[in-house]
Amino acid sequence: MTEAHWLTAVEASRAFAAKTLSPVELMTALLKRIEVLDPKLNAFIRLDADAAMDAARTAETEIRAGRIRGPLHGVPVGIKDIIDVAGLPTTCHSKILLDNVAASDSVVVRKLRQAGAIVIGKLSTHEFAIGGPSFDLPFPPARNPWNPDHHPGGSSSGSGSGVCAGLFPVALGTDTGGSVRNPASACGIVGLKPTYGLVSRRGVFPLSFTLDHVGPLTRTVADNAIMLDAIAGHDPEDPGSVPTQSRHFGRLLDRGVRGLRIGFIRHFHEVDMPAHPEVTAHLEDVARVLQAEGAEIHTVTLPSLNEFSGINRVILCSEAWSIHAPWLRSRPGDYGQLARRRLLPGAFMMAGDYVGAQRRRLELIAAVEDALRDYDVLLCASSMDPASRLDDAETTARTYPRQARTPFNVTGHPALAMMAGLASNGLPVSAQIVGRYFDDATVLRVAAAYERAAGWVKRRPPIG
Amino acid sequence: MDQQLFVALARAAGLDKALAEYPDDVRAAAEQSLNNAGSVKVPTDPAAEPWPPMRAGVGL
Repeated sequence: MTEAHWLTAVEASRAFAAKTLSPVELMTALLKRIEVLDPKLNAFIRLDADAAMDAARTAETEIRAGRIRGPLHGVPVGIKDIIDVAGLPTTCHSKILLDNVAASDSVVVRKLRQAGAIVIGKLSTHEFAIGGPSFDLPFPPARNPWNPDHHPGGSSSGSGSGVCAGLFPVALGTDTGGSVRNPASACGIVGLKPTYGLVSRRGVFPLSFTLDHVGPLTRTVADNAIMLDAIAGHDPEDPGSVPTQSRHFGRLLDRGVRGLRIGFIRHFHEVDMPAHPEVTAHLEDVARVLQAEGAEIHTVTLPSLNEFSGINRVILCSEAWSIHAPWLRSRPGDYGQLARRRLLPGAFMMAGDYVGAQRRRLELIAAVEDALRDYDVLLCASSMDPASRLDDAETTARTYPRQARTPFNVTGHPALAMMAGLASNGLPVSAQIVGRYFDDATVLRVAAAYERAAGWVKRRPPIG
Repeated sequence: MDQQLFVALARAAGLDKALAEYPDDVRAAAEQSLNNAGSVKVPTDPAAEPWPPMRAGVGL
């Protein structure tokens, strides 16, 4: 039988219904595991054990009484510490906001609680979701369960590390330039950046308004779908939120990929940013597996990765400066050096630079839309390299920007990163699947087909 | 970037304190900003509008 800490949300929910496990038993097992492993991983900024156990008792009573709210009822969830949870500090992993206690839940946390999920605590991030991994902040950086000497990706570092290590089955992260998909890639789990506007950002500390997304990190594709079911939906008070009928994101998970047309963006990792050879080899394996499952694979060409990245940086720096300018002027020393260096460039952007980037952005969106008229989904790299060592700042600085995630923050298309193998050094490598607007269900469908066929989901990090 | 120019731009942005305490970080940021802005191919069509478009009455 699977140990409780490795149960997925779907499996835990079934065990609760079958009365072979209770929410209190699961929470007890996870809290014991956190006590042992978190000192090595630093996934948590703040563990909310007492409140989580109280909520587990309530869930247990409700489930025993037959009042089951759905597949997340009684399931612990970790929350990145830029997302508000009522009564807990939202520190953004920064000295700037150490005492910033949230007055109310963010919309996503409220929705998760309505679905019966239990908030277990607040999770490590890069400072303000941009400055990390850093050792000059009030909390240490999270570490990778596959090898704690290595970076777990970021900025949703604690979300990736904790889900991967079995500290909690599911978590929320945020993604402005790839920050859900990067930890999913580095930790060998599943991370989805949903379509822009599908999930409310209200109650989430902003980094860049037109690039920010909230998304789930999970060990399986099915868990990712039930998380998205819980958090998606129109929020009239989020200006970017879109009224949509998109629902039931797991409805296609068993359909396979036979007959789907998949566009493989090879130039991202072969020409624009040549990937580590093992990453390239595993990406070709992903294409072969999907083809063997019945999909058609064709090479497609988009604008260069460098252009997407440049536009992302101009927009991100400009929008982030408008948020951080007051603190950068008055409290520059309260930021860690990486956040300070990554936020200050916005002070030197011209209005014309920002508008120019937004004008070119529309052309890049059109290019991706053109490709998605011919293909059901796109396949491409996520990270170009396995995760770097945390103590090797030079390699981290060199490899961190070598990724193909930012294009889909620029365009807003749904994009999912998942494990595509293990490199010879024992660290995960990953692939990315991108879909049409509000067709997140097809992205999850393709990911589920690959997950079943490839079997990487059965691999566990060697952390006990 | 020219020293006098970057100092003037930093002061214009209200970054006197950062300039005094972290001059290397401010200079690095100014140089990065120049590189980033130069990487964008701005559309040549004068009528190419920015994203997101202005939509009256939407999002309020």
